[in-house]
Amino acid sequence: MVPWALYLDHQVTTEFEGRKWDLPSRVYARALELYPGAVISPGDLRVELQAAGYRAAARVERPGQYRFSGSAVDVWRRAFHFHDGPKDEARFRVSLNDGAVASLRSQPDGRPIDLVRLEPAQIASIFPLQKEDRTLVAIADAPPLLVTGLQAIEDRNFKHHHGIDLRAIARAMLANLKARRAVQGGSTLTQQLVKNYFLTQDRTLLRKINEAIMALSLEAHYDKAEILEAYVNEVFLGQQGAYAVHGFGRGAEYYFDRPLNRLETHEIALLIGLVKGASYYNPRRHPERAKKRRDLVLSEFAETGLLSAEQARAAMARPLDVTASPRASGTRYPSFIDLVRHQLAQVYDEDDLRTEGLRIFTTLAPAEQEKAQAAVSGGLQDLGKRGLPKNLQGALVLADTSSGEIRALVGDRDPDRPGFNRALNARRQVGSVIKPLVYLLALEHPDDFSLLTPIEDEPVELRQPDGSTWSPRNFDGVSHGRVSLLDALARSYNQATVRLGLQVGLQPLVSRIGQLGVAADIQPLPSVLLGAAELTPLEVTQVYQSIANSGFSVPLRALVAVQSPDGDELVRYPMRLMPQPHRDAIGVLNYALTRVVAEGTAQGLPALLSQNVTVAGKTGTTNDRRDSWFVGYTRNRVATVWVGLDDFSPAGVTGSNAAMRIWGGLFAGLPLEPVDLAVPEGAYYLWVDPESGRLSAEHCEGARQLPFVEGSEPRKWTACAEKSQDRDKESIWKKIFGRDKQ
Amino acid sequence: MFLASCATAPGPAESVDVDTHVRQPAEQDSAGVQVFPLKNPAVGGLLEDAGRAESDGQYDRAAMLLERALRIQPRNPEVLQRMAEVQLSTGDYEQALNFAVRSYDVGPRVGEICSRNWRTIGVSRENLGDSKGSREALQRARSCMVTKPQGM
Repeated sequence: MVPWALYLDHQVTTEFEGRKWDLPSRVYARALELYPGAVISPGDLRVELQAAGYRAAARVERPGQYRFSGSAVDVWRRAFHFHDGPKDEARFRVSLNDGAVASLRSQPDGRPIDLVRLEPAQIASIFPLQKEDRTLVAIADAPPLLVTGLQAIEDRNFKHHHGIDLRAIARAMLANLKARRAVQGGSTLTQQLVKNYFLTQDRTLLRKINEAIMALSLEAHYDKAEILEAYVNEVFLGQQGAYAVHGFGRGAEYYFDRPLNRLETHEIALLIGLVKGASYYNPRRHPERAKKRRDLVLSEFAETGLLSAEQARAAMARPLDVTASPRASGTRYPSFIDLVRHQLAQVYDEDDLRTEGLRIFTTLAPAEQEKAQAAVSGGLQDLGKRGLPKNLQGALVLADTSSGEIRALVGDRDPDRPGFNRALNARRQVGSVIKPLVYLLALEHPDDFSLLTPIEDEPVELRQPDGSTWSPRNFDGVSHGRVSLLDALARSYNQATVRLGLQVGLQPLVSRIGQLGVAADIQPLPSVLLGAAELTPLEVTQVYQSIANSGFSVPLRALVAVQSPDGDELVRYPMRLMPQPHRDAIGVLNYALTRVVAEGTAQGLPALLSQNVTVAGKTGTTNDRRDSWFVGYTRNRVATVWVGLDDFSPAGVTGSNAAMRIWGGLFAGLPLEPVDLAVPEGAYYLWVDPESGRLSAEHCEGARQLPFVEGSEPRKWTACAEKSQDRDKESIWKKIFGRDKQ
Repeated sequence: MFLASCATAPGPAESVDVDTHVRQPAEQDSAGVQVFPLKNPAVGGLLEDAGRAESDGQYDRAAMLLERALRIQPRNPEVLQRMAEVQLSTGDYEQALNFAVRSYDVGPRVGEICSRNWRTIGVSRENLGDSKGSREALQRARSCMVTKPQGM
């Protein structure tokens, strides 16, 4: 008998140790800031609330609930430990008007408040070093009602017994005798845990004795909290296809699509009820059975004093509230989470990442992520209907222009599919998306170039390193002769760009890309001028963030801070500015990119936006229409979209027929601020006559304001402007700028 | 990508007293003229909290509050300059310089904030070993009361 018991003891402790759970790290979205004037539609606010685990309620009676009434929404925020410290729960009313917060008042006193944050959505729980994710729960983090309720329903004597509960067994035997069949089980939580470890249908007496011995030895080796924690993460709660749903954390996601700690009383009761028989009481298949079982659990809660009678009644009045169908994959937004892992690994030692239960604060905006996913999936489907390949793939990166915080990331046309993340890892030729950098280099030489400088858009032949000749053609097959830099860029003329690029130099172009924050390996060959350089969508976004933000690069980041489970800050990712050289030229280029949209290759874009806002951007198409790019920005958002086929075969796509449509589809639904057209010191707007390339004046025919880097402005005046000026041209700088030209 | 450089590194222990080197002289340069009005109460509240954190020597906290303010108004020259001053206090001269330049770029380029911009740039350059640049910056600070250029 003793050797047998020792053998069982060894078996069960090995099993327990092997399954002892590491605590996963929790990943949070950004916290939504609400303040009078904040731009947010009612629909987006609802999405944000739902993502943060809030529930719509007829009356807002407890934390985690909200209620829309007309254009106002009442919110009861939960207490939360933000990345910069803990905050108490708060009740407030947000009044919306015309797509923005009109007023914000605390409730119930109605006092105006300046600023309040929603606690962020918990978007994933991950093991930073593993690919596979499980949703595990620390007993300390489990809702108290779950911990006490579980004992009340399954094992009231849990705290006191040593693994088996003889009284419970006696009670069960009596009941079973009376009923002449097995209606009650006397198993303790510990015994149930053992049963779960060695799942078997075998119900022999020997098996029961073995289980009892193993339960006793578990209790001898581990404390109650450890056993309960193992139970909470091990218990069988359902079946999703081929996979069993184990543990309350996963169960909460599977049935309610929310983290366990954001469930309400009636939902916790349902999960506890499922322990008795997850398939028999399956709330999706047998809702009435499930509700009966849940209400029985609730009345037991009341009987044992865990709930007041009134609380129990209120909970029984609630529907089951399970989602119609479980989400396909465990992790929401797998592409973004992939980036989170990637950036964690860049700045974190592996050993630190082994720390259990990290709290990871990220930059994701749930409402924007949802829109980005819809824009990519819907957009690609639509392109399929328009005759493009049905298996087109796509990627999208959306970031905040000024902070570089990544708000959304899509790496697959099916946003829920984990796997190859094109936003991060698809290196594709960028085509004309690279051209603005050629023009930037030119504008950085104000003695030689301004937006009005003429260049030749004429055939050009170049000897390649392999001896062959390269003679690029224009997209429309026509050479346009003498054109200004501005027009050549806006209309994306290849021959003019190649000629300009040969003047500014290939090595400087490659170095400039590096300066803009992309460490890609690019060969300084002439074909680079037309985009024979392979970059990822994330890298392209980084380059354009610098331009969109007036030459202040900010590293694109998905992370804000990482905390220990107790809320101690382990690492913070502060906003850092990296000023680019020649910000005056970047300011001028910024203007030119708005002309791409106003009158150039992206002129179809405004119609897609249905908002009248100044937007800047650039299309890109590669040889044989393999890749379609669009990168564009406003004052507040910068985004890149790529579309193509994974096997690099011709896809029939161009920048404007594919990627730009998806970009437009996304931005049509975002609150946009017009591009910042201000230029920094060293550049100025002047009235000019683009036809003649001369200085003009506001009242003269054909006059237009264009930005110039100081020193690049035209020297000659139009006749009209000359007439209206006093002829003292020497002092123009004095008159315009109040000082002599440097 | 340059992400690797963006996690917080503890700054040098030396730090600059912002009041003595930036704010008080700037007030003199500008005769107290404040050309940028604060309008957004949310940002105003965050600036106040940041000011309190700063005077308690909690520069990390001040920086976090200012970052929140910058998410709301990324081009607010006062917030950018305050961030520059916090960086100066922690001895991160490079970031102090960069935030001050950004503030100057988007700001009025005249008046008290202009002077604070250039004084911050001056102190930062000095500490980064650029004495000539520092002297030029202080020169610019003193000329911040020149009338705003016309025609811009």
